[in-house]
Amino acid sequence: MLHTTGAKTVDVIANAGRFSRFVGRTCVGSMITCLQPKTYSLVWTQMNAIGVRSVPVVMVTGAFVGMVLAVNAYDQLAGMGLEERLGVLINIAVVKELGPVLAAIMLAGRVGGALTAELGTMNVTQQISAVRSMGTDPIKYLVVPRVLACLLLTPFLIIYADLMGILGGYFVSVIQLDINSAAYWQYSANGVELWDLSVGVVKGFFFGVVIALISCYKGFNCREGAQGVGEACTEAFVGSFISILALNFIFALITKAIYATFWTTQSLL
Amino acid sequence: MGNVVDNEISPDDGVIVVKDLFKTFGKLRVLKGISLSVEAGKTTVIIGPSGCGKTVLMNHMIVLDRPTRGEIYFRSERIDELNEKELAPIRVQYGFLFQGGALFDSLDVFENIIFPIRQHRKITDWKAIDELVKTKLAMVGMEGFQNHYPASLSGGQQKRVALARAIALDPHIILYDEPTTGLDPIRSDVINELILKLKRELKVTSVVVTHDMKSAYKIADHIIMLHEGKIIAEGDTDYIRNHPHDVVQQFIHGRVSEADLAALRLGGTKFKTQYAPEDFK
Repeated sequence: MLHTTGAKTVDVIANAGRFSRFVGRTCVGSMITCLQPKTYSLVWTQMNAIGVRSVPVVMVTGAFVGMVLAVNAYDQLAGMGLEERLGVLINIAVVKELGPVLAAIMLAGRVGGALTAELGTMNVTQQISAVRSMGTDPIKYLVVPRVLACLLLTPFLIIYADLMGILGGYFVSVIQLDINSAAYWQYSANGVELWDLSVGVVKGFFFGVVIALISCYKGFNCREGAQGVGEACTEAFVGSFISILALNFIFALITKAIYATFWTTQSLL
Repeated sequence: MGNVVDNEISPDDGVIVVKDLFKTFGKLRVLKGISLSVEAGKTTVIIGPSGCGKTVLMNHMIVLDRPTRGEIYFRSERIDELNEKELAPIRVQYGFLFQGGALFDSLDVFENIIFPIRQHRKITDWKAIDELVKTKLAMVGMEGFQNHYPASLSGGQQKRVALARAIALDPHIILYDEPTTGLDPIRSDVINELILKLKRELKVTSVVVTHDMKSAYKIADHIIMLHEGKIIAEGDTDYIRNHPHDVVQQFIHGRVSEADLAALRLGGTKFKTQYAPEDFK
């Protein structure tokens, strides 16, 4: 029992150390890549694979988030005669929390899974060893372009999700539930601040980096065989999912403290 | 190079020198004190049964794996203690043919072959690169396959393209990991001829890991046999062919041992073999 616990603890610490080293090498590699224009093409390729192809799923996610919020919140607000303020509730939830978090979770599944599977397969078929054997750093060649692509594009994908969430909420509220359009936008404009939108978008940088780092690390360290790659994909998604939620919580605490320092909190209703 | 496994090896004894190498993975001891030298311009073949540590030994020669204990020298310079960045200029002098080819499946044949060139040289003259790729593909008998993706090639074709990639930077040393495994006899012989051709034309030093004895006899100047993580025999092809050690004879003739037969009998398996137990006495 004691032996097993000790062995597991050592394993966790060793794994954390390996991950920290991986992150450190990726950070140094990213800085070097930014200074070497010849490597930009690798980043562009990944931006296309990671960002452009994720736009439809992220937009669909955002649209459904907005529509579901409208359907569920309407009865509560209508009961108090506040249904015209539905817009502010939907839009602040979408741009500040649900849009960024659900878009990031969608990316963890779509992009993270693909990154782990691709790098994991490269690992078990010795392609990563081949990169090393030719005197090239696989972190710089394989990981850095993927991390930079996720870092740069996740905020934009979140903006797409926010936009569709707002439109989805508007569609259900105004077209289906017959709320006055002008009042809907008026209350939304009064309640949702640039700060809320900025917080959601800034989260995207962190979510993107976390998804890419965890997914690439799991791909680089997956066990042999199809089962090993499958397990690595699952671990990458679970790790990214929990990290996104934990980061979101930390962000909520930090941004609330910053907001309270400079502005006074106003009631949305 | 003598026919003795010796620990008194010096870093200047060959282009690659491995001194007292031990490697463990967790509790598994794979290499147990290997010392060897690879002579420049010659083909050294490492033979041994599956799982005896041949590939791990070869990975150490280019420091893809780090020793648990022991030293690796390249041209008299100790390389196992260098970091990845310091190893890059040394690795450029090697070509490595991986067992499965390890071609990048997201790149076509042309891009695979220019990969090492692109990483280490600034390409300004694309016409020259185009010619170079054509030349390398012609050397391995794969002309006209520039635009194919690895997935559309057979196993033998993938190995030949991987060999073209391995020689793209005109390396001084080529490491071949099981070059003929999984290929039919004709394709295997094509690869053997390619290895001989590269040695003849490019004057490269070759290290080949294989358990294909036909191939080993054809290409080797020097053969080293590994068994359970140790060198049990080394010498030229005639020396190995006539080696008195039972394990060596069983391996080179591909005979099952009496111990293996006994284990199968204990497992309750009824089977027929072309060899009777007394054949091994």
